Amino acid sequence: MTDSGSTDMVEIERIIDAPLALVWQMWTDPEHFKAWYGPDGATIPVAKMDVRIGGARLVCMEVQTPNGPMRMWFTGEYREVIENERLVYTESMSDENGQVSSPSDLGMPEGHPLMTEVRVELKDIGGRTKMVLTHLGIPHDSPGAVGWTMALDKLVGLVSGLTGMPGEP
Amino acid sequence: MVAAIDERRLTETFAALANPTRRAILARLAEGEATVNELAEPFEMTLPTISKHIKVLEQAGLVVRGQRAQYRPCALDAAPLEEVSTWAERYRPVWETRFERMDDYLKQLRPRRRAGKGDD
Repeated sequence: MTDSGSTDMVEIERIIDAPLALVWQMWTDPEHFKAWYGPDGATIPVAKMDVRIGGARLVCMEVQTPNGPMRMWFTGEYREVIENERLVYTESMSDENGQVSSPSDLGMPEGHPLMTEVRVELKDIGGRTKMVLTHLGIPHDSPGAVGWTMALDKLVGLVSGLTGMPGEP
Repeated sequence: MVAAIDERRLTETFAALANPTRRAILARLAEGEATVNELAEPFEMTLPTISKHIKVLEQAGLVVRGQRAQYRPCALDAAPLEEVSTWAERYRPVWETRFERMDDYLKQLRPRRRAGKGDD
């Protein structure tokens, strides 16, 4: 293992043609959140958000698979809440009660941290909104937000052994 | 900026990988090159269907075809996978797609917002 995963993050900046307060609601009002979150073809049947520091969140994502609908649950806690400005929350895979899944439940070796952190920073620029999203991960092989990243883990592992790509030793 | 990642290429890679048959084909090719017939064997699919999947993988740069006229064996090219091999980069297209949906959703809201205000 290398520790390169500890600084793993993705940062995306977007200019959104909507006022600050509305973009804030996109993240904090469950009805708005359900309308856009989730990959194509997925629905968000449940989004519970207690938007205050220490408040809990629970989101269910339902995707259609050849074997029927599959539900994935994500839980977390709000760490920073500055209205219309900054929102920070954690995210872990869980069951429908918000009980965090253990690494072995997810087919991962024990000892892997499973929590990631999502930061949203908003800034008004003349009636439009600049949004900076930062998603910080702990290990580079933590379970993904969509089911197939696990299959991808296996595939990348398989392939990296053959090509000398950086990855798991 | 840390690394210049080709966004379009990455999207193509993810699209190609978002299918279980194509992942199975890649896993098979990770063991060594194979002809289309050999690749089709484990699947209950017609050769044209398998060929279509291989074409998608080829366009994403994940599979290269040999030049031997008759067989043109398929081989794996893992280079595009390097770009998705870090944890964080796997999330980039997920978020990009979400934000496109947010944009669309906000557009749907706009007429209602205007109508709701009733003045300017």
